[in-house]
Amino acid sequence: MRSYYIKRILSAIFTLFIIATLTFFMMKLMPGGPFARERPIDPIILERLEEKYNLNDPIIVQYFKYMLGVVQFDFGVSYKELGVNVTDTILQKFPISLKLGLYATIAVIIIGIPIGIVSALKQNTWIDQAAMFIATIGVTIPSFVVAVVYISFVAGTLGWVDAFGLDKWSSYIGPVIALAAYALSFVSRLTRSSMLEVLRQDYIRTARANGLPKYKVLYKHALKNALIPVVTYLGPMFAAIITGSFVVERVFAIGGIGKYYVESVSNRDYTMIMGVTIFYAVIYIFMVLLVDIAYSWIDPRIKFGKSSGE
Amino acid sequence: MSNMRDFNYVDSSKKQDSEQIRESLTYWKDVWRRLKGNLLAMIGLGGVILVVLFGVVGPYLTPYGYQDQQNDYSNLPPKLTVYQISDENYVYLTQSYYLLLLNSDGELVGRLTNTSRDFVNRIYHYDFDGEDIAIDYSYRIYEPDGEIDYTVTYQGETTTLPTDKIQNKTFLLGSDHLGRDILTRLMYGARISLVISLVAAIVNLFIGVIYGAISGFASSRTDNIMMRVVDIINSIPLVIYVILLMVILDKSNIWTIILAIGTVYWVGMARLVRGQIISLKDQEFVLAARVIGVSQGKIIARHLIPNSLGPIIVSLTMSIPSAIFTEAFLSFIGIGISAPQASWGTMANEAIAQLEQYPYQMLLPALAIGITVLSFNFLGDGLRSALDPRLRKG
Repeated sequence: MRSYYIKRILSAIFTLFIIATLTFFMMKLMPGGPFARERPIDPIILERLEEKYNLNDPIIVQYFKYMLGVVQFDFGVSYKELGVNVTDTILQKFPISLKLGLYATIAVIIIGIPIGIVSALKQNTWIDQAAMFIATIGVTIPSFVVAVVYISFVAGTLGWVDAFGLDKWSSYIGPVIALAAYALSFVSRLTRSSMLEVLRQDYIRTARANGLPKYKVLYKHALKNALIPVVTYLGPMFAAIITGSFVVERVFAIGGIGKYYVESVSNRDYTMIMGVTIFYAVIYIFMVLLVDIAYSWIDPRIKFGKSSGE
Repeated sequence: MSNMRDFNYVDSSKKQDSEQIRESLTYWKDVWRRLKGNLLAMIGLGGVILVVLFGVVGPYLTPYGYQDQQNDYSNLPPKLTVYQISDENYVYLTQSYYLLLLNSDGELVGRLTNTSRDFVNRIYHYDFDGEDIAIDYSYRIYEPDGEIDYTVTYQGETTTLPTDKIQNKTFLLGSDHLGRDILTRLMYGARISLVISLVAAIVNLFIGVIYGAISGFASSRTDNIMMRVVDIINSIPLVIYVILLMVILDKSNIWTIILAIGTVYWVGMARLVRGQIISLKDQEFVLAARVIGVSQGKIIARHLIPNSLGPIIVSLTMSIPSAIFTEAFLSFIGIGISAPQASWGTMANEAIAQLEQYPYQMLLPALAIGITVLSFNFLGDGLRSALDPRLRKG
């Protein structure tokens, strides 16, 4: 068991290493270089700039220096904004995105899962059909549309909340809805189908036949098993919500990391792009790892060490 | 006694039991039969066909190009609230105080020239064939919630309430902030979405299926290496990858999106196919094929892939919405399709600035994306249950 964990963690680190390497060389491949402007910079200044950012070193040396920094969680300095440290920026902006992501994930868990369970229990009634209809709509509407419609109608026409920023608690509602809409719909569909699958199993019938009260059958036997695929999905989903917040942050004018990422992309701020990309990959890989490890105690049937055909 | 002539002798051949003759159903015919019985799947299929027609044929039917601008006619909604000034002529006041002349069919005839502006009394004068039309918009300012929005005075007659709400025949779905026809742009946007989905499908089919099949069939060492590559690609959210590639390619047009999507969108399919192949490759029919000396490539191509075609097709239909989403999303944040090209994401992005005045400009592309994605989802769900009858009870 322990060797499995070690193996998983090592492979996660290896994956991160590859991603950092790839990102580095991809950025170096970019035409123009970081200081290409519409008006060419004075060659002397350019030389000084390149010296300052170690760009005169051979590429291998640059690579090692960069990787050494990454290991210490130091992503260097922004090319575009003077004296701005990438790591500081990430640490400063990330909590906002994290908070939004957490709220959205909580919304998914406390709303999405119960909806799925109720739909499964009331299969083919109007409750089920209505819930699944809304869930289907939810997975087909892009988050930016949800965000924009919310801003224009709830904040604009009705004037109930502020449209932009995050000053009051009520201004969290919109971004959280927009962030959670897709995942919430997906989770409720997933919970429903997994619950239906479990309810058909023999052990549920046995439990019922043994005269267990209905709620016990549901909570002790059905739910535990039905939630396994949902939990597996929640990990990557949390990472996806956090890393997928660019649009929502942009529309709601929230200064989180997503908004910053999009800005650095359009500014061609290479160190910033590299830093945030690697940071995103860390979150993503960490969440997947967490789920993999959590899996073993959620579902003891799963055997490790054997590569199973998924 | 009944009349004997009412009855005939039966030809002896008819006495034989009529044999049940029914065309034998192949697997695909059976799938089609099941699919036909599924209402939602057929709605989905219909939707997909409609979107394809809309994008492929549509642009030939409209009189406009995607970048034809008519600046006098900017921001016109699909339904125009008009004032009648004579039998044949209607006028429509835009939000920027252009007075447009319409005929009784709802076609735009032209913009009337503004002759004078009285800012104190809030009256604008326009010239119509030498006659004066006065628009008194003071109501709008002093009583914003009142019944009267503005009045139109022509030949001494004042109309206080709009005569009618008529369909805009020149721009069926309205026009955007540059006076471009939204319907036309939606059609070109459908084209882009379709091209993107086609590319995603092809990439899934060729790279994903072949890669997954080789990985699943190969020795465990090769499989390990190949899957590690997939793991690496998979461990960055695809959208970030695409953004990164777009930055590196340093241009944003449809080709870069295609390249970006093509580079990464096959990994899910590769995993699925690998799993299928692994579960199939130890079965007897593969062993039998090996025993009679069929080559590895042929076993993969003739036996393994056809047997996993069901999940492949389902995953294919389901991957298309995500490709469409990605394109819309990239264009929306401004690093996808760039102006003046029309994509649903770009159109939504352009609509944000004036969302409160002209919500239809956001609603229409959103609706287009929604309908397309919904159709593919319905079709995919239907295909899933049609291709795998075991799932039908759910």
